[in-house]
Amino acid sequence: MSAENATGLAPEDRARAQAYELLARLLAAPPDADLLKMLAMLEGGETPIGAALAELAARAAETDAQAARDEYEALFIGVGRGELVPHGSYYITGFLNEKPLARLRADLRGMGVGRTDGNKVPEDHIASLLEVMAGLIEGGFGEARDGAGAQQAAHAFFHAHIALWAGRFFADLEKANAARLYVPVGTLGRHFVTIEEAAFEIAA
Amino acid sequence: MKQDDRNKAKARRNFLKLAGVAGVAGGAAMTGAAAKADGPRAEPATQCKGYRMTEHVRKSYETARF
Repeated sequence: MSAENATGLAPEDRARAQAYELLARLLAAPPDADLLKMLAMLEGGETPIGAALAELAARAAETDAQAARDEYEALFIGVGRGELVPHGSYYITGFLNEKPLARLRADLRGMGVGRTDGNKVPEDHIASLLEVMAGLIEGGFGEARDGAGAQQAAHAFFHAHIALWAGRFFADLEKANAARLYVPVGTLGRHFVTIEEAAFEIAA
Repeated sequence: MKQDDRNKAKARRNFLKLAGVAGVAGGAAMTGAAAKADGPRAEPATQCKGYRMTEHVRKSYETARF
Protein backbone atom coordinates (compact mmCIF):
# COMPACT_ATOMS: atom_id res chain seq x y z
CA MET A 1 0.00 0.00 0.00
CA SER A 2 1.55 3.26 -1.09
CA ALA A 3 0.17 5.25 1.86
CA GLU A 4 2.15 3.19 4.32
CA ASN A 5 5.69 3.86 5.42
CA ALA A 6 8.41 1.41 6.28
CA THR A 7 6.82 0.45 9.59
CA GLY A 8 3.57 -0.45 7.84
CA LEU A 9 1.66 2.34 9.55
CA ALA A 10 -0.30 4.74 7.32
CA PRO A 11 0.36 8.45 8.02
CA GLU A 12 -3.25 8.90 9.14
CA ASP A 13 -2.85 6.11 11.68
CA ARG A 14 0.44 7.54 12.90
CA ALA A 15 -1.39 10.86 13.38
CA ARG A 16 -4.10 9.10 15.39
CA ALA A 17 -1.51 7.44 17.61
CA GLN A 18 0.14 10.84 18.17
CA ALA A 19 -3.19 12.45 19.01
CA TYR A 20 -3.82 9.72 21.60
CA GLU A 21 -0.32 10.20 23.00
CA LEU A 22 -0.68 13.97 23.26
CA LEU A 23 -4.02 13.72 25.05
CA ALA A 24 -2.68 10.94 27.31
CA ARG A 25 0.35 13.04 28.23
CA LEU A 26 -1.72 16.12 29.10
CA LEU A 27 -4.20 14.10 31.16
CA ALA A 28 -1.53 12.09 32.99
CA ALA A 29 0.25 15.13 34.38
CA PRO A 30 0.35 18.90 33.87
CA PRO A 31 2.66 20.15 31.10
CA ASP A 32 6.03 21.51 32.27
CA ALA A 33 7.60 24.71 30.90
CA ASP A 34 9.17 22.95 27.90
CA LEU A 35 5.97 21.23 26.89
CA LEU A 36 4.01 24.48 27.28
CA LYS A 37 6.48 26.17 24.96
CA MET A 38 5.93 23.46 22.37
CA LEU A 39 2.17 23.47 22.78
CA ALA A 40 2.28 27.21 22.09
CA MET A 41 3.78 26.41 18.68
CA LEU A 42 0.94 24.11 17.61
CA GLU A 43 -0.55 25.21 14.32
CA GLY A 44 -4.28 25.50 13.96
CA GLY A 45 -6.44 24.81 10.95
CA GLU A 46 -9.96 25.14 9.63
CA THR A 47 -11.36 21.88 10.99
CA PRO A 48 -12.77 21.63 14.54
CA ILE A 49 -9.56 19.79 15.45
CA GLY A 50 -7.51 22.62 13.95
CA ALA A 51 -9.52 25.25 15.85
CA ALA A 52 -8.99 23.37 19.13
CA LEU A 53 -5.25 23.15 18.45
CA ALA A 54 -5.11 26.91 17.76
CA GLU A 55 -6.92 27.61 21.01
CA LEU A 56 -4.62 25.24 22.90
CA ALA A 57 -1.60 27.04 21.44
CA ALA A 58 -2.99 30.44 22.43
CA ARG A 59 -3.74 29.37 26.00
CA ALA A 60 -0.42 27.53 26.39
CA ALA A 61 1.37 30.75 25.42
CA GLU A 62 -0.19 32.56 28.37
CA THR A 63 0.15 29.75 30.94
CA ASP A 64 3.23 29.12 33.07
CA ALA A 65 4.18 25.76 34.58
CA GLN A 66 2.96 26.68 38.07
CA ALA A 67 -0.45 27.74 36.75
CA ALA A 68 -0.67 24.51 34.77
CA ARG A 69 0.14 22.49 37.89
CA ASP A 70 -2.45 24.36 39.96
CA GLU A 71 -5.08 23.89 37.27
CA TYR A 72 -4.32 20.18 36.90
CA GLU A 73 -4.49 19.76 40.68
CA ALA A 74 -7.86 21.51 40.91
CA LEU A 75 -9.28 19.53 37.99
CA PHE A 76 -8.12 16.02 38.79
CA ILE A 77 -6.65 15.77 42.27
CA GLY A 78 -7.99 18.42 44.63
CA VAL A 79 -8.44 17.97 48.37
CA GLY A 80 -9.94 14.51 48.57
CA ARG A 81 -10.85 14.62 44.90
CA GLY A 82 -10.64 17.05 42.03
CA GLU A 83 -13.50 18.62 40.15
CA LEU A 84 -13.52 15.69 37.73
CA VAL A 85 -12.97 11.98 38.27
CA PRO A 86 -11.23 10.79 35.08
CA HIS A 87 -12.04 7.09 35.50
CA GLY A 88 -14.21 4.97 33.24
CA SER A 89 -15.85 3.00 36.04
CA TYR A 90 -16.93 6.23 37.73
CA TYR A 91 -18.45 7.61 34.52
CA ILE A 92 -20.17 4.37 33.56
CA THR A 93 -21.47 3.24 36.98
CA GLY A 94 -21.14 6.26 39.28
CA PHE A 95 -18.55 4.42 41.41
CA LEU A 96 -14.84 3.70 41.20
CA ASN A 97 -13.56 0.11 40.91
CA GLU A 98 -16.75 -1.42 39.57
CA LYS A 99 -17.34 -4.03 36.86
CA PRO A 100 -16.06 -1.90 33.96
CA LEU A 101 -12.66 -1.88 35.69
CA ALA A 102 -12.73 -5.66 36.17
CA ARG A 103 -13.50 -6.13 32.48
CA LEU A 104 -10.70 -3.74 31.52
CA ARG A 105 -8.22 -5.59 33.75
CA ALA A 106 -9.12 -8.89 32.11
CA ASP A 107 -8.59 -7.37 28.65
CA LEU A 108 -5.28 -5.77 29.64
CA ARG A 109 -4.05 -9.08 31.07
CA GLY A 110 -4.88 -10.70 27.75
CA MET A 111 -2.79 -8.04 25.99
CA GLY A 112 0.12 -8.35 28.43
CA VAL A 113 -0.29 -4.79 29.72
CA GLY A 114 0.08 -4.05 33.41
CA ARG A 115 0.59 -1.23 35.86
CA THR A 116 4.05 -0.06 36.82
CA ASP A 117 5.06 -1.52 40.17
CA GLY A 118 3.84 0.67 42.98
CA ASN A 119 1.16 2.30 40.85
CA LYS A 120 -2.07 2.06 42.83
CA VAL A 121 -4.35 4.09 40.62
CA PRO A 122 -7.00 2.07 38.77
CA GLU A 123 -6.17 1.30 35.16
CA ASP A 124 -9.33 2.93 33.83
CA HIS A 125 -7.81 6.42 34.17
CA ILE A 126 -8.44 8.22 30.88
CA ALA A 127 -4.70 8.76 30.33
CA SER A 128 -3.97 5.02 30.59
CA LEU A 129 -6.76 4.11 28.17
CA LEU A 130 -5.56 6.69 25.63
CA GLU A 131 -2.03 5.43 26.00
CA VAL A 132 -3.17 1.86 25.38
CA MET A 133 -4.94 3.06 22.21
CA ALA A 134 -1.72 4.63 20.92
CA GLY A 135 0.10 1.36 21.62
CA LEU A 136 -2.53 -0.73 19.87
CA ILE A 137 -2.55 1.49 16.78
CA GLU A 138 1.22 1.28 16.57
CA GLY A 139 0.98 -2.49 17.05
CA GLY A 140 3.39 -2.15 19.94
CA PHE A 141 2.14 -4.77 22.33
CA GLY A 142 0.70 -8.22 22.42
CA GLU A 143 1.72 -10.35 19.50
CA ALA A 144 3.01 -8.49 16.46
CA ARG A 145 0.08 -7.46 14.28
CA ASP A 146 -0.26 -6.41 10.69
CA GLY A 147 -1.94 -3.06 9.98
CA ALA A 148 -5.45 -4.48 9.74
CA GLY A 149 -5.07 -6.59 12.90
CA ALA A 150 -3.79 -3.59 14.85
CA GLN A 151 -6.76 -1.49 13.74
CA GLN A 152 -9.19 -4.26 14.70
CA ALA A 153 -7.62 -4.57 18.14
CA ALA A 154 -7.78 -0.78 18.55
CA HIS A 155 -11.42 -0.73 17.45
CA ALA A 156 -12.37 -3.49 19.90
CA PHE A 157 -10.60 -1.75 22.79
CA PHE A 158 -12.11 1.64 21.94
CA HIS A 159 -15.61 0.15 21.72
CA ALA A 160 -15.27 -1.80 25.00
CA HIS A 161 -13.54 0.77 27.22
CA ILE A 162 -13.64 4.28 25.77
CA ALA A 163 -16.72 4.85 23.58
CA LEU A 164 -19.17 4.67 26.49
CA TRP A 165 -17.80 7.58 28.44
CA ALA A 166 -14.79 9.47 27.02
CA GLY A 167 -16.96 11.92 25.06
CA ARG A 168 -18.81 12.86 28.24
CA PHE A 169 -15.56 13.21 30.15
CA PHE A 170 -14.07 15.57 27.54
CA ALA A 171 -17.29 17.62 27.44
CA ASP A 172 -17.12 17.91 31.26
CA LEU A 173 -13.49 19.00 31.00
CA GLU A 174 -14.45 21.77 28.56
CA LYS A 175 -17.05 23.05 31.02
CA ALA A 176 -15.11 22.58 34.26
CA ASN A 177 -14.85 25.66 36.50
CA ALA A 178 -11.12 25.22 37.05
CA ALA A 179 -10.35 24.68 33.35
CA ARG A 180 -8.38 27.32 31.41
CA LEU A 181 -5.57 25.59 29.53
CA TYR A 182 -7.61 22.37 29.67
CA VAL A 183 -10.70 23.81 27.94
CA PRO A 184 -9.21 23.27 24.44
CA VAL A 185 -7.80 19.92 25.62
CA GLY A 186 -11.42 18.93 26.32
CA THR A 187 -12.54 20.29 22.94
CA LEU A 188 -9.75 18.45 21.14
CA GLY A 189 -10.57 15.20 22.94
CA ARG A 190 -14.30 15.50 22.33
CA HIS A 191 -13.86 16.06 18.58
CA PHE A 192 -11.19 13.40 18.31
CA VAL A 193 -13.31 10.73 20.00
CA THR A 194 -16.24 11.57 17.68
CA ILE A 195 -13.97 11.31 14.64
CA GLU A 196 -12.59 7.99 15.85
CA GLU A 197 -16.09 6.57 16.29
CA ALA A 198 -17.08 7.64 12.79
CA ALA A 199 -13.84 6.33 11.29
CA PHE A 200 -14.27 2.92 12.95
CA GLU A 201 -17.81 2.77 11.53
CA ILE A 202 -16.52 3.42 8.02
CA ALA A 203 -14.04 0.56 8.30
CA ALA A 204 -16.38 -1.88 10.09
CA MET B 1 -6.63 -8.02 2.35
CA LYS B 2 -9.77 -8.38 0.25
CA GLN B 3 -10.66 -5.59 -2.19
CA ASP B 4 -13.67 -4.59 -0.08
CA ASP B 5 -11.50 -4.26 3.05
CA ARG B 6 -8.94 -2.26 1.12
CA ASN B 7 -11.63 0.16 -0.04
CA LYS B 8 -12.94 0.55 3.49
CA ALA B 9 -9.45 1.14 4.84
CA LYS B 10 -8.89 3.78 2.17
CA ALA B 11 -12.25 5.45 2.93
CA ARG B 12 -11.34 5.51 6.62
CA ARG B 13 -7.96 7.13 5.93
CA ASN B 14 -9.53 9.73 3.64
CA PHE B 15 -12.06 10.55 6.31
CA LEU B 16 -9.32 10.97 8.92
CA LYS B 17 -7.42 13.23 6.55
CA LEU B 18 -10.46 15.43 5.93
CA ALA B 19 -11.21 15.57 9.66
CA GLY B 20 -7.83 17.20 10.20
CA VAL B 21 -6.42 14.55 12.49
CA ALA B 22 -3.10 14.91 10.66
CA GLY B 23 -2.99 18.47 12.04
CA VAL B 24 -2.37 16.99 15.45
CA ALA B 25 0.56 14.99 14.13
CA GLY B 26 2.69 17.99 13.18
CA GLY B 27 2.49 19.44 16.67
CA ALA B 28 2.14 16.20 18.54
CA ALA B 29 5.35 14.89 17.04
CA MET B 30 7.23 17.56 18.99
CA THR B 31 5.11 17.32 22.07
CA GLY B 32 5.30 13.55 21.87
CA ALA B 33 9.06 13.81 21.96
CA ALA B 34 8.85 16.07 24.98
CA ALA B 35 6.36 13.79 26.68
CA LYS B 36 8.65 10.84 26.23
CA ALA B 37 11.66 12.75 27.48
CA ASP B 38 9.89 12.82 30.83
CA GLY B 39 10.98 9.38 31.76
CA PRO B 40 11.97 6.01 30.42
CA ARG B 41 9.32 4.69 28.10
CA ALA B 42 8.19 1.13 28.47
CA GLU B 43 9.86 -1.40 26.24
CA PRO B 44 7.86 -2.05 23.13
CA ALA B 45 6.36 -5.48 23.52
CA THR B 46 8.20 -7.06 20.64
CA GLN B 47 10.61 -8.44 23.22
CA CYS B 48 8.59 -8.17 26.38
CA LYS B 49 5.05 -9.29 26.93
CA GLY B 50 4.65 -7.27 30.08
CA TYR B 51 4.14 -3.71 28.90
CA ARG B 52 4.27 -1.17 31.69
CA MET B 53 2.55 2.15 31.56
CA THR B 54 5.02 4.93 31.03
CA GLU B 55 6.91 6.74 33.72
CA HIS B 56 5.08 10.05 33.36
CA VAL B 57 1.75 8.32 33.78
CA ARG B 58 3.06 6.46 36.81
CA LYS B 59 4.41 9.66 38.36
CA SER B 60 1.09 11.38 38.06
CA TYR B 61 -0.62 8.36 39.58
CA GLU B 62 1.55 8.58 42.66
CA THR B 63 -0.04 11.91 43.43
CA ALA B 64 -3.50 11.03 42.18
CA ARG B 65 -4.78 8.57 44.76
CA PHE B 66 -8.35 8.43 45.81
